[in-house]
Amino acid sequence: MAALGPIHGYAIAQRLQQVSRDVLQVQQGSLYPALHRLENKRYLAAEWKATETGREAKFYRLTAKGRTQLETEIADWKRLAKAVRLILETTEGEAG
Amino acid sequence: MTGLRRIFRKNEHERQLDTELRFHFDSLVAENLRAGMSEAEARRKARLEFGGLDQVKEECRDSWGMRWLEDIYRDMRFAVRSLCRCPAFTITSLVTLALGIGANVAVFSVVSAALLRPLNAPDPDRVITFLSTNKQGSGPGASEIKFNLWREQTRVLQDVSGYTTSWFNLTGVDRPQRVDAAHVTADYFRLFGLPLSYGRAFTVEEETPNSRNVAILSHTLWKRVFAGDPRMVGRVISLSGFSYEVVGIIAENAKPEAVTPPDIWVPFPIDPASDNQLHYFQATGRLKPGITLGMANAHLELTTLEFRRRYPTALSTNRGDVFSVQPLRDVQVKDVRTAFFVLSGAVAFVLLIACANVANLLLVRAGVRRRELAIRMAVGAARQRIVRQLLTECALLALVAAALGLYLGIIGIHAILAVNTANLPRLGLHGSNVTLDWRVLTFTGCVTVVSALLFGLIPALQTSRTGIHTSLKESNDRAGLGISGHRTRSLLAISQVSLALVLLIGASLLIRTLMSVRSTNPGFDAHGVVATLVTLDPKFTGASSVDRINQDILRRLHALPGVEQAAFTGLLPLEGNFNSLPVTIVDKSNRGAPDGNSRWMTVSPGYFNVLKIPPVRGRLFTDNDRRDAPRVAIINQAMARQLWPGGDPLKDQLIIGKGLGQDFGETTRRIVGIVGDVHEDALNQNPLPAVFTPFEQRGSMRLSNASPVWRMWTIVRTRANSGSFNSAIESELRQATGGLPVAPVHSMESVVMKSTARQSFDMLLMTVFGCAALLLAAVGIYGLMSFTVQSRTQEMGIRIALGSSSAAVRNRAIVQGMRLSLIGIAAGILAALGLTRLLMGFLYGVQPQDPITFVTVPIFLAAVALLACYIPARRATRINPSEALRWE
Repeated sequence: MAALGPIHGYAIAQRLQQVSRDVLQVQQGSLYPALHRLENKRYLAAEWKATETGREAKFYRLTAKGRTQLETEIADWKRLAKAVRLILETTEGEAG
Repeated sequence: MTGLRRIFRKNEHERQLDTELRFHFDSLVAENLRAGMSEAEARRKARLEFGGLDQVKEECRDSWGMRWLEDIYRDMRFAVRSLCRCPAFTITSLVTLALGIGANVAVFSVVSAALLRPLNAPDPDRVITFLSTNKQGSGPGASEIKFNLWREQTRVLQDVSGYTTSWFNLTGVDRPQRVDAAHVTADYFRLFGLPLSYGRAFTVEEETPNSRNVAILSHTLWKRVFAGDPRMVGRVISLSGFSYEVVGIIAENAKPEAVTPPDIWVPFPIDPASDNQLHYFQATGRLKPGITLGMANAHLELTTLEFRRRYPTALSTNRGDVFSVQPLRDVQVKDVRTAFFVLSGAVAFVLLIACANVANLLLVRAGVRRRELAIRMAVGAARQRIVRQLLTECALLALVAAALGLYLGIIGIHAILAVNTANLPRLGLHGSNVTLDWRVLTFTGCVTVVSALLFGLIPALQTSRTGIHTSLKESNDRAGLGISGHRTRSLLAISQVSLALVLLIGASLLIRTLMSVRSTNPGFDAHGVVATLVTLDPKFTGASSVDRINQDILRRLHALPGVEQAAFTGLLPLEGNFNSLPVTIVDKSNRGAPDGNSRWMTVSPGYFNVLKIPPVRGRLFTDNDRRDAPRVAIINQAMARQLWPGGDPLKDQLIIGKGLGQDFGETTRRIVGIVGDVHEDALNQNPLPAVFTPFEQRGSMRLSNASPVWRMWTIVRTRANSGSFNSAIESELRQATGGLPVAPVHSMESVVMKSTARQSFDMLLMTVFGCAALLLAAVGIYGLMSFTVQSRTQEMGIRIALGSSSAAVRNRAIVQGMRLSLIGIAAGILAALGLTRLLMGFLYGVQPQDPITFVTVPIFLAAVALLACYIPARRATRINPSEALRWE
């Protein structure tokens, strides 16, 4: 999500709820350790900006390094998903 | 932001984290409010959605990665606070540990300076000394013929040097004084790399006999007598009547390897064609590059064969008599190595006992805090975290104790050196080589770590095994630690008692040894005898001049009031010097080899009377045994037993020093008397054969070719015993010798006492350690006992309430305490039976498994343990049952 532009934690949580159509139910606080870890590894870069309400929030955006890592992770995930689907289809075929 | 930067701006990050999370949380609340909930409900739902704020913060902090440093810092602060909260425990632990660590540091410093510190020489492990081995063992003595042959072995050795000591009288300065001199061959300075601040070392030419007299001054002498004047190089000084040109001055940082650093260095001329067989100096050298000790020794075996070929009579026919080389440092410390190991072991025992005490204290403390720790675990602290905290406390205790221990160690070093009248080797003048160098500091660090592990691990493991539920359910805060805790504490107390017993038995054996040595009859009567050393200069060495001076001395001394008898002798019994010359019996079928070796004493006729050495047969020397009278000799009983097992010595004649060279000649002396044995070398060694000759009949025999001075002890038996009397003697001697410096007079009894200095030293240290161990073990038992009484107060109250007498309750407690002590004593006896074998080399007059010691010492320890049990148990008698039952 940060690939689409700088975004703060609350907005990420909201979008997660929207996009996954409420399938993913996580404690929203658990986002933050993950965000900080990614920031440590320099996949994300952070800066403080003012929001619409006037309060300051920490905005995260993807770095070039992060973008590369993201693409690698997406490719890995797609490969995994395809493999799982093949196994399940084959099994279903056998069962059915 | 990197982890490192996070530490330095911690507050800033905390603030940012808080702001970030609060933003999210408040946004959730706002969203819920918009959806129509009440304030309270909105906040509650937001909290459920978000999770606990502090928990999220913790997780974020964990992800930062440099957490452990902050954790340690926080643990340290907490440890400091909690240790300060119970000062009694903290102070007791610190003192106990510091004493244990300090004692170990002190002993190790001394051991390190003597055994571990390398020689003061370049490439010190390759510096060797030459040994000759015979039936009695190996000795570092060298003779001129041996030295010349060793010098030729240039294939395996280089820089072969000779070294011996003597004395000169330094005259022509403000205060004439006797100076210690070292005679060295030219290679010596290169071998040891002794630095010079001015001038040069000796050249090879100066080493030949009859060359110019030159000398090198030591730094201390140069500063003390010549005011550090750099122009001393080239000046001439007067040593014992001869002129010596100063050619060099030793640098200040030089540390020659000698017990007493010499004041003056002079060349040591050794004639390459000499036939002198007297052993009067030491030879050292260096292994050539690439040569190992084994190779050199193999080569020297061949050299021995060559030596036999050249001098068929010089070595005995025993095949085992060979030459060898050993690293110089090993030979210097050979005698004390075992002693140091034993002392190090003893002081390690003390440390173990101290650690056991501290472990017990920590267990008690952990027990008291069990509820607190259980509550902390219940609200979410990781067990690992709590254990880490306990270990931090232990580490903190150990660190502070180590610092204190170093300080106490320094004090201990001074104490040991003050007791060291035993001239332990390689410690330097006044112990100057014993310092806190890197070896000592590393040792301190290791000891600290090991102690911390020893006393910290047990309580930490105990805590980590405690269940939360049982801890919380315990109604009694101080109810002890349950069965398993008690077992650990008992085990610790038992081991303390065992270790203490071993040390006490060792100390008792050494005490008995010292008493035994001191009560040995030396063979003479030292009471009322004083002695002083006179060195006669070469200007008196015309034989008649020396005799005239000695007569003059005796006449003057006999004229002093209060003098019963005066005499002089070349060697003083128990003073530390010795000699050994071959003795040949005339008319026996000798195959050219001597019949035996004996100590040679050259004395004036009054010698036996002054020391009250009893005549056994025949007669003593009289004034008639003068230079021109027939040659006579007196032997002691040991020699009579050895060389005349069934015969009568008074019918025979002997030759002293036959074959040693032209100085010794072949004078036959008639044996005219036998005297009682005297412990000449040490009180705990059997008397060796000795032969006495009247001083005037010494001929041209000399004990050292290097030094031209005659060294004589003057002994006086007197009824008076005061300082003024001693100075009267000194002044008479000075007048008789024409102003030569005279050593201070000391009593013969102090000489005898000083000869037992090694045994005193061993005994003193061992006793100190034994007493420390006893104290610590007693404190340990006392602590265990009082804790048990306290934790069983409720039970005891019930017993008393049910009709038991308070005395019976107390006795029950005592019996339980004594059972532990007795198990410890039994274990200690078994251990001591095995370990005292190590002391065998130190004991005299007492067996390593001496029954008296093994009975009395355990009884003593049991009595102390009984006292330590009784005092806290007595408190049990004062228990008021109703109070005890109500006590929570």
